[in-house]
Amino acid sequence: MRAAIEAKRAGVDVAVVSKLHPTRSHSGAAEGGINAALGNATDDSPEIHTFDTVKGSDYLGDQDAIEIMCREAPGDIYELEHMGAIFSRFADGRLAQRPFGAAGAPRTIYSADITGHVLIHVLYEQLVKHDIKVYEEFFCTNLVIDDGRCAGVLAWDVVRGGVHAIEANHVILATGGVGRMYYGTTNAFACTGDGMSLAWRAGVPLKDMEFMQFHPTTLKSNGVLITEGCRGEGGYLRNSKGERFMAIDAPNAMELASRDVVSRAEWKEIAEGRGVDGCVLLDLTHLGHKKIETRLPGSRELALDYAGVDPIRDPIPVRPGAHYHMGGVDVDVWGESIVPGLWAAGEVACVSVHGANRLGGNSLMETITFGRRAGQAAAERVLAEGDTGARIERSVLEDERNRINTLLNATGGERPGAIREQLAKTMYDKAGVFRTQSVLEECVEEVHALRERGRSLRIEDRSSLFNSDLVQALELESMLECADCLVTGAVARQESRGAHARIDFTERDDANWMKHSLAWNDRGEVRLDYKPVTVTKYQPLVRSY
Amino acid sequence: MEDRSHLTTLKGAYDHKMMEVTLRVRRYAGEGARAHTETYTVDVPVTATLLDCLDEIKDKQDGTLAFRKSCRMAVCGSCGMRMDGGAVLACKTAMKPFVDAGHTVTVSPMGNLPVIKDLVVDMAPFWSKIRAIKPYLDTGGAKAPEKEWRVTPVQGHLVSKEALCILCGCCVSECISMESDPDFLGPAALAKAYRFVGDVRDGDTRARLKDLSGAHGIWDCTRCYFCNQRCPKGVDPRDAIAKLGAEAFREGLTRDEGARHAKVFVNSAHKGGFLRETELVPKTIGPVAAITQIPFALQLARAGKVPNPLAPHKAKDNAEVKRLWKLLESQAPKQKERANSGAPIDGTES
Ligand SMILES: Cc1cc2nc3c(=O)[nH]c(=O)nc-3n(C[C@H](O)[C@H](O)[C@H](O)COP(=O)(O)OP(=O)(O)OC[C@H]3O[C@@H](n4cnc5c(N)ncnc54)[C@H](O)[C@@H]3O)c2cc1C
Ligand code: SF4
Ligand code: SF4
Ligand code: FES
Repeated sequence: MRAAIEAKRAGVDVAVVSKLHPTRSHSGAAEGGINAALGNATDDSPEIHTFDTVKGSDYLGDQDAIEIMCREAPGDIYELEHMGAIFSRFADGRLAQRPFGAAGAPRTIYSADITGHVLIHVLYEQLVKHDIKVYEEFFCTNLVIDDGRCAGVLAWDVVRGGVHAIEANHVILATGGVGRMYYGTTNAFACTGDGMSLAWRAGVPLKDMEFMQFHPTTLKSNGVLITEGCRGEGGYLRNSKGERFMAIDAPNAMELASRDVVSRAEWKEIAEGRGVDGCVLLDLTHLGHKKIETRLPGSRELALDYAGVDPIRDPIPVRPGAHYHMGGVDVDVWGESIVPGLWAAGEVACVSVHGANRLGGNSLMETITFGRRAGQAAAERVLAEGDTGARIERSVLEDERNRINTLLNATGGERPGAIREQLAKTMYDKAGVFRTQSVLEECVEEVHALRERGRSLRIEDRSSLFNSDLVQALELESMLECADCLVTGAVARQESRGAHARIDFTERDDANWMKHSLAWNDRGEVRLDYKPVTVTKYQPLVRSY
Repeated sequence: MEDRSHLTTLKGAYDHKMMEVTLRVRRYAGEGARAHTETYTVDVPVTATLLDCLDEIKDKQDGTLAFRKSCRMAVCGSCGMRMDGGAVLACKTAMKPFVDAGHTVTVSPMGNLPVIKDLVVDMAPFWSKIRAIKPYLDTGGAKAPEKEWRVTPVQGHLVSKEALCILCGCCVSECISMESDPDFLGPAALAKAYRFVGDVRDGDTRARLKDLSGAHGIWDCTRCYFCNQRCPKGVDPRDAIAKLGAEAFREGLTRDEGARHAKVFVNSAHKGGFLRETELVPKTIGPVAAITQIPFALQLARAGKVPNPLAPHKAKDNAEVKRLWKLLESQAPKQKERANSGAPIDGTES
């Protein structure tokens, strides 16, 4: 939406295509906040923000991209505020900022615990204001590349049915993440990596796919995230014996160590049999009724709704869950891919500002800054070049209609849900927080087998009216392709860096592995290749907190 | 090297305590089809929500069942539907209490919106009303500062409840006014309208209030409070409408029939502690026009909805009403100005 607004303002003809109504997008679930060095709380600067982000990325982030984001972030925040975003304030009326993990200063701008919700709504408001056409509930099934250029998208009308060709000289993918390939995930049902797989099929490589961040405190029942704020307010993590096990791996920071460290410590406790019902316990009981009521009401409600536990009386069972995908469509600092006319921004893209590990609050910022930049750059291109002449041939549309029709009438072996569940368990069991060669190899094999099984599905709903059965089958295809890229990259990367923790290669290996992996589509199979990381000022250091 | 490969996989990751849930689901395959009810029984974890149950049905029993979903954590607004006749978010409704009570719930689509298929309604009328209230900040030409607009926490608090709205439509589903007037803007759009009217950065208050005071606007609300009751996010749209009404009064926008209607309501409630419905119609539209409403009144009377106009009609203790009144007053009128001036928010006029 941010990209569309920018392009429309520049005077070009734009439309938004979304499989959900725009305000239903998963960004709305973000609670914590968005990072920009405004310096409203204490002294801060884009340089410090840059350093924190580079270090957080475990030196896999491209430093030029990170510099751009950190420099332009404050302006983007003021603009969101001028658009009408409702943020929390200091007493003097300036934007409030709070501390977040691994940040050198309180830099996170927020709106109580509904930051993402506020942002998604203000962007939608601007879509209405700028009278931007939205294809609501249109599922993009493929990109069209005409003579090496992007010519638009093919999309299935979810509500009324039918495949449509939407021609465009430039397409900006902003389709979000792919957490749903994991069993335990904080992500919404819609986070199925469609955009990544669309780009991959169209010949664009996916970068650093092996890096999936796990959030340490998610509910077992449905993966819903319990905010870091619970630990920030003094919550303890305990194992089945009641011990605060963080004392072993992070005796200083304890529960407030960085996400990957806490996730690994928890995972170890559970895997070694000191868990409780497959979880560890997030204990808030000592904080008292009042503090929980006033400071953590949202978390209490989630625990009550989805775990049936009142944290005032009992600890909340939590475990690590797939949360944020650092990898994505390989693009440059303007969001452009190697296919002319095809761009990407947000979680679907990998610029890369997050490298091997994202800092909390940086991804919302990335969606805004790089969304705006992609919209701006694409519009400039349109104004400079005019119509590129790329078209969607009638036959291409017909082929896609046939493909979808065949799927719609598929009477093959398995229900999409069964394969999806199997995929999610395989990924959670074999490409989770800790990884090792032999297990990853099994995982690759299983994912390949699942891709094969995914070719013969059974669709029960044959109607064209709101056919979510068909949509879920299409989403499954995306997830299977993304999973293949992820595990193939993970087997190859023989080091531990950021979110990729190998128990057989426990150290970071800058000599051999300080490079981005690129997963290409080679006639349906994943082929790996690498490219260097851009380093400007910051040489790699040991990452400790 | 020590073998640590056991670390890769979590023990007990998929073990859940289970329960059996039976649901009756309203099915409708689209135009021309006959709606009917189907019963399903699913085995789900004890923590399962209504949405989890529907998902289980779709994956394992009946792939044709249609419903919307995305976040499964009550923030995206996709999964509004009716359970036992009242709107809920399926993802925020735990099923265990119903199982424990031995109650089989009935699930149907939201009300006041056309049904497309099964539990999926056509939200187009809903969105067009959101668009109709000019849903974006208009600073009235004021030039934006270099940095942020200054908004104190007190000022910001004025719209903090309205900011919670996820546009799910649960309120609209149960709105009494909308049932009789599908063009009524409705609770969600009006709550959204207050989100701008109450925003100290907005410079278009008067024009907004004028529009909102017109036909199908704030005065068409019957004050049934179903919207407040049904909103899953605590937005309290009816309160937002009351605040809009108070702001409109302040702006002198009282000429509209609706506004006069409200005035009678206010006076009546203030004096007697009860709304004297019998006085309402004549005082709103004038005695002559009121005669034309008599058949309607008789109909209401037959349905037992009109109190006997001759019986004394006074609440025993209207202190409660007066207290409520003060509260409402203190929350609503001229909030913006008061918040701006830093003056204590009390409010005296009516
Ligand atoms: C629970 C949670 C909390 C978080 N908290 C924070 C936080 O506090 N701070 C922070 O910085 N980050 C946070 N994150 C991460 C951040 O929210 C996400 O990375 C970010 O919102 C992604 O935004 P996006 O615009 O890229 O994608 P999304 O918001 O997911 O939007 C994707 C859009 O693409 C559309 N789409 C997808 N596929 C298709 C298709 N095939 N056809 C058509 N349309 C399609 C969808 O309909 C949707 O509109 C959090 C994430 C989660 C899960
Ligand atoms: S109080 Fe008014 S807006 Fe709310 S449901 Fe009743 S009639 Fe509709
Ligand atoms: S006011 Fe409440 S019920 Fe109505 S749309 Fe908003 S969140 Fe939903
Ligand atoms: S699925 Fe998002 S509100 Fe229920």
